[in-house]
Amino acid sequence: MRLTLPLIVILFLSGCVTANVDEMTFDAPIAGIGDGSIVILGRRHAPDYDTEPDFIDCIGDHISGRDSSITVIPERAFVDSLYPWFEPRTAPLSVEGLDRLMAIEPVADKIVELNLNYMVWVDGRTQDTNSTGSMTCGISPAGGGCFGFGTWGTESDYEATIWNFTNNSEVGRMSASTSGQSYMPAVVVPIPIIAPVQDTACQSLGQQLLQYLSAGS
Amino acid sequence: MVERLLDSMTIVRKHKSLLLGFVVLILSGCSSREVVVDGSFPEPVIPKLPLTIGVLYTDTFKNHELVDDGSARGEASWRVSTGVAQVEFWSTLLPAAFNDVIYINSIEDLSNYQVDAVFVPTIVDVQYAIPLYTNVKVYELWMRYRLQLVEPEVLIEQASLDVTADNLQAFADWTLSAYGKTPTAFMQSDIDAVNLAAVMALRDAGANFITSFGQAPSVNAWLATALESE
Repeated sequence: MRLTLPLIVILFLSGCVTANVDEMTFDAPIAGIGDGSIVILGRRHAPDYDTEPDFIDCIGDHISGRDSSITVIPERAFVDSLYPWFEPRTAPLSVEGLDRLMAIEPVADKIVELNLNYMVWVDGRTQDTNSTGSMTCGISPAGGGCFGFGTWGTESDYEATIWNFTNNSEVGRMSASTSGQSYMPAVVVPIPIIAPVQDTACQSLGQQLLQYLSAGS
Repeated sequence: MVERLLDSMTIVRKHKSLLLGFVVLILSGCSSREVVVDGSFPEPVIPKLPLTIGVLYTDTFKNHELVDDGSARGEASWRVSTGVAQVEFWSTLLPAAFNDVIYINSIEDLSNYQVDAVFVPTIVDVQYAIPLYTNVKVYELWMRYRLQLVEPEVLIEQASLDVTADNLQAFADWTLSAYGKTPTAFMQSDIDAVNLAAVMALRDAGANFITSFGQAPSVNAWLATALESE
């Protein structure tokens, strides 16, 4: 009973989210990736958006949190350790670009040192769409408060492309599209009911990647 | 003065600190913003050229800052100091690109050390854009450099390190552009975002320098000769 009320409150405070996941993979590692490592990188070359670094961290945490045998190299550490070859200007856009990169001796040495098996590129973003409603807030010597109602939609659309580093080939694509509606009623105090759209996309994409990379998948 | 005005109002006396906070908040919207660009720059993973290069940072380069007076437009003024970060960045990049790097601080350095050429970077232009101006949710910063290679003898003959890009008799002279952007983020101030965009622009300058060095015909010709004699 003590737990029921907070649970109901949490459920009530989360908006609804719908998710679509799609996957096309082949050459999955049958025995898992062993003692190798993977890196998850966000695409940053579009003029009007960047794939969010915290979304990339979220997928990495999802994978390493559920399979401790998989080493996920943090994105920033990887990009710094191979500067300037993964900057927006220089990052390979297709798997063919890897051959050119591996021809640079110090880069090839670094990749071997990192024991990198897979590179996952994630492209996409989360953005707010329609928003309606109005809210008025006031403050007086007696106190303050808000009254009104607001609602807005949020959409996430991400695609992950997996490159196998041992034979420089693309081995799969996965996507996750999620959307949800958030609400904010206010009677004196505004109560945000936020739809966990980006978080759902992270869990969906993270789970697909985990299934692909984990042993016995 | 603001305090006296507030004191004259009865209601305000009770909530003076709160209202003073609001006044400060409103006034700060029109005030100037200062960014001293600060970031860490990784060492590039590239093969070194077997050459010894001198590097001359002019005072203008070392103290470079972008000043944009927005008061006439009713907007905040900006002062973005990139000089310190420029020196830190290029001093990380160049030692990774060349076997030996000599920082030229006096004309005697040119006689004391044997260098294949002296590299002189100049910042020609820096521009920035914030979401307030563009309605796009990214902070952007562009930089344009004029990079020059000069023979040490030319500087010795000049007997002065007080040079500008226009009065330098360089044997190689080329431009380099760089761009950095950072998206808006929750709880991130304009200052932090512009700093991050500047750091990204510097990193991009390095990426552009490394991938394009040697493509300018004059640099290419110098490299061919210098590497042959090594």
